[in-house]
Amino acid sequence: MITPEILTITILDILFFLFGSIGFVIAVKIVLFYDASATTHRQYTLEKQSYLSATIIKFLLLFKTLSFLFFIYTLNKLSNFLPGAMCAAGVVNALKIGTPLLLLKILNLYIFAFWIVLHNEDLEYEKQPYLKVKFLFYIFAYFLLLSEIVLELNYFYLLDSSSVVDCCGSIFSTTDGSYMAYLLSLDFSYQLGAFYLLFVVMVFFYLLKNRYLFALANLLFVIVSLITLISFFGTYIYELPTHHCPFCLLQSDYNYIGYFLYLFLFLGTFNGISLGLLAFEKERQKKKYISALIFNTLYLLCVSYFPLAYYIKNGMWL
Amino acid sequence: MIRLEGVTKEFDGGVIALSDINLELREGEVVVLKGVSGSGKSTILALIAGLSKPTQGRVIVDGKEVSKLPDHFCATFRRENVGIIFQRYNLIPDLSVSDNILLPLYPANMPKEILLERLEKELKAYHIEDKKDAVVKNLSGGQQQRVAIARANVNNPKIILADEPTANLDEKLSREFIEILKELKSQKRTIIVATHDPLFFELDFVDRFITIAHGKIVDDNT
Ligand SMILES: Nc1ncnc2c1ncn2[C@@H]1O[C@H](COP(=O)(O)OP(=O)(O)O)[C@@H](O)[C@H]1O
Ligand SMILES: [Mg+2]
Repeated sequence: MITPEILTITILDILFFLFGSIGFVIAVKIVLFYDASATTHRQYTLEKQSYLSATIIKFLLLFKTLSFLFFIYTLNKLSNFLPGAMCAAGVVNALKIGTPLLLLKILNLYIFAFWIVLHNEDLEYEKQPYLKVKFLFYIFAYFLLLSEIVLELNYFYLLDSSSVVDCCGSIFSTTDGSYMAYLLSLDFSYQLGAFYLLFVVMVFFYLLKNRYLFALANLLFVIVSLITLISFFGTYIYELPTHHCPFCLLQSDYNYIGYFLYLFLFLGTFNGISLGLLAFEKERQKKKYISALIFNTLYLLCVSYFPLAYYIKNGMWL
Repeated sequence: MIRLEGVTKEFDGGVIALSDINLELREGEVVVLKGVSGSGKSTILALIAGLSKPTQGRVIVDGKEVSKLPDHFCATFRRENVGIIFQRYNLIPDLSVSDNILLPLYPANMPKEILLERLEKELKAYHIEDKKDAVVKNLSGGQQQRVAIARANVNNPKIILADEPTANLDEKLSREFIEILKELKSQKRTIIVATHDPLFFELDFVDRFITIAHGKIVDDNT
């Protein structure tokens, strides 16, 4: 299927591939030959190249990260063309590779953003202590980038505007015997308990200043947040007990609230998780802790608002 | 204080400006780098200031390996350690004398009072108080030279590098400049002057004359 959006994504992917590959070649050279203590011609050349290529990689990954929003926007847009789709959920599920693609994209969002954070931290020190690590990490990220590009182009070009797809109502239904159905049929009070408890535990780990446990709590917080959003909070955003879709809330009918929720959740947990992966300089570490707490709190307040508001307005739960 | 170890500098296009230079300068020394145009004097100064990187070898200034310093740290290194007087002054013609002098300090985010205090001190030291709001392009060569010295000095650097400082000055102004150098020496600064001006060759307060030819040290007498 070809739409202006898919064409744009294709062109972007080609550019990502080209610049990503240039970065990859230099990254391999640096990982193999970089020797910070050497004062040879080759070493000075590598030092010069390392700065240039790291800058290329940084912008590449920055644009890649931002292009995620465009991807979501495209899915929403495509839902108008695919018969049966009401929102992006139907579009994602139109093909088998849709869900793996989306999950890979979310994973890459964290990986790529973390590369940028690692790079920025590296530049803060005269000795560039993470130089080799960041290029090694980029080599890993490059393969993820390639997989994403291949999967994405495959997905969009296999997408067929004439095939009838499911709407989110059936994908996120409680009765069709799928994994999702099982999840939704569970008593959500445990999930809710886990959600709020995890947040309290996260704050507790912050007070303990244990960055590893704090990061772990953040990792779990992403998962539990997504589960509770689908099983519980979403239904209050839609004010419909059977509407569990995590995509509809990206649409204008719900004031694009989804973008805010996901952004808060990403910024909060991304900062939280990166604390566990990297020993930041003290001041920056403090900032990361604070951003993680602020954005996770914003997320928690936002999702909690909907059931509370509903209860206050109607005097009962859904 | 300043050490060059096996330094070679080859420019793109294959010009070898310096080849295997070994040099050690002590703190507080006044050194004159002699040599005809194109011999490699400016290249040595640029390497010490962290304005360029060697092709091979290392440059160590005040214990710091400048040749290994990432570029974005070199600016800070210069701000904290080095004052540079260029041949063409490198002043910004459309800015005032005060702004030109304070330029090296602006990125450091110093409080305004300290900036003004430093400015006053330099204006006074080089007798340009009455010109402080004048636009640089309207000044005479000698006045511009003094602004350039004031600017090189405003960050209170341990090291002062001067590249052909008298090339555009008449003899009277050149001698004035030499007096200023003498004054800077008495402030215990390490000073390196790259020049082919014979006025410098007989000075008694110069500790060392180093002659460069074709990118090599051919003479070094104390
Ligand atoms: N940026 C440059 N690119 C190419 N060649 C250069 C560059 N700067 C200097 N050179 C060459 O390096 C040699 C030494 O130059 P330089 O250090 O400026 O000499 P000096 O200051 O003694 O006159 C000269 O041959 C000059 O042409
Ligand atoms: Mg020169």
